[in-house]
Amino acid sequence: MSDKHIISLIEQTPPASLSESDLIAIQAHVADCADCRRGYEAAQIAVLLMKERAAEAFAPSPFFHTRVLAILRERQAANESWAWSRMWRAGGALASSMVATVAALVVLTFVVPGTQSTAVPGDVTSTLNAYSAEEVILNQSELPEEQTSDGQILKTLYGAEEDAVK
Amino acid sequence: MFRFASRFFRQRSLVEEAAQEVFLKAFTELGKFEGRGSMEGWLTRITTNTCLNLLRSSKRRPELTVSDLTEEQSTWVENKLADTAMEHHQSSERSLAAADLAGRVLETLAPEDQLVLTMMDGDDASVKDVVEMTGWSESKVKVKAHRARRRMRRAVEKLLARGTKGNSKSLETSRN
Repeated sequence: MSDKHIISLIEQTPPASLSESDLIAIQAHVADCADCRRGYEAAQIAVLLMKERAAEAFAPSPFFHTRVLAILRERQAANESWAWSRMWRAGGALASSMVATVAALVVLTFVVPGTQSTAVPGDVTSTLNAYSAEEVILNQSELPEEQTSDGQILKTLYGAEEDAVK
Repeated sequence: MFRFASRFFRQRSLVEEAAQEVFLKAFTELGKFEGRGSMEGWLTRITTNTCLNLLRSSKRRPELTVSDLTEEQSTWVENKLADTAMEHHQSSERSLAAADLAGRVLETLAPEDQLVLTMMDGDDASVKDVVEMTGWSESKVKVKAHRARRRMRRAVEKLLARGTKGNSKSLETSRN
C-alpha cells in the first residue's frame, strides 16, 4: 500500500470515515511521496475549513419573521387581485356573448320578417286569395248567392229521403 | 433551516433570502405535503433545492488567489503551513476567518459540488442522507462527492503553494 498513491482514496472517502488501516497506510505512504503528502495536507485543511464553516452559528435578524409575513401577505393580495381580474375578464366575455346573442335574436325577430314582406309583394296577393284559411273563416257569412250552403246540401240529400219515408 | 442555509452563503443577506424563500415555498405548497415522510425531511428538501437554485443563479468566482485573502485568512493559511493544521483550540476570530475562507474557496466550485461537500464533509452526512435531501441517485452523489473533493483539494493546494511562494518571497525580501 505504501507504493500506491493515496490521492484517490482520500477523494473517495470522507476523512472522518477513513478506517484505522487506511490511515496507517496513508501515513506510511505520505512519508515517502511528496505529491501525496501535499495532497493529503490540502485535503485535511479542506475538511478543517468545511468543519469550521459548519460550526458557524447563525441567527436570523429580529425583523426576519415580520418581513416574511409581510411578503406572504403581499403575495396573497397579488394572487387575489389576479384572481379577481381573471374572473372579471371571464365575466366580461360571458356578458358580451350574451349581448351578441340577444342582438342576433332581435334582428331575426324584427328585421328579417319585415324585409321578407317588402322584398316579395306578390306573396301578399297570394295570401289574400279566395281559398286561404283566413278568407274562409272571415267571409263565411258572405257566401255568394249562387254558392249552396252546407245546410242546403244536407236538406237536399236527407230531405228527399224523409219525403220518401213519409 | 437557517443553519442549513448558512452553510451555502457567506453573506447574511443571502442566507436570509434563502430562508425566506423556503418559508414562502413551504407555506404555499403545504397542501402538496402528503405526510408520507417527515415534515423535517420535506422542509430540508425544499431548503436544499432552494439553496441549490440560488447558488446556480449567483455568480461563480473564477479562482481564489492569496492576494484575495484578508489578513486573518492569510494568517490562518500561514499557520497551517507552519504545521498547525491539526490545532483544535483556536480563537473564535480565527475560526471565523477559517469559515469565511471556506466560503471563499467554495465559491470557486460548481453549485452542486458546494452542496455535496457542505453536506458530506461539513455536516458528516452519509450518501443516503444526501440522496434523500437532493433526490439524486446514489451513484450521482458518490461521483459528485469524489469530484468535489478533488476540486476542493486542488483549490486549497494552489492556495497553499502560492502562500508558500509568497512567504518565501517575503522572507527573502526581509532578509535582504
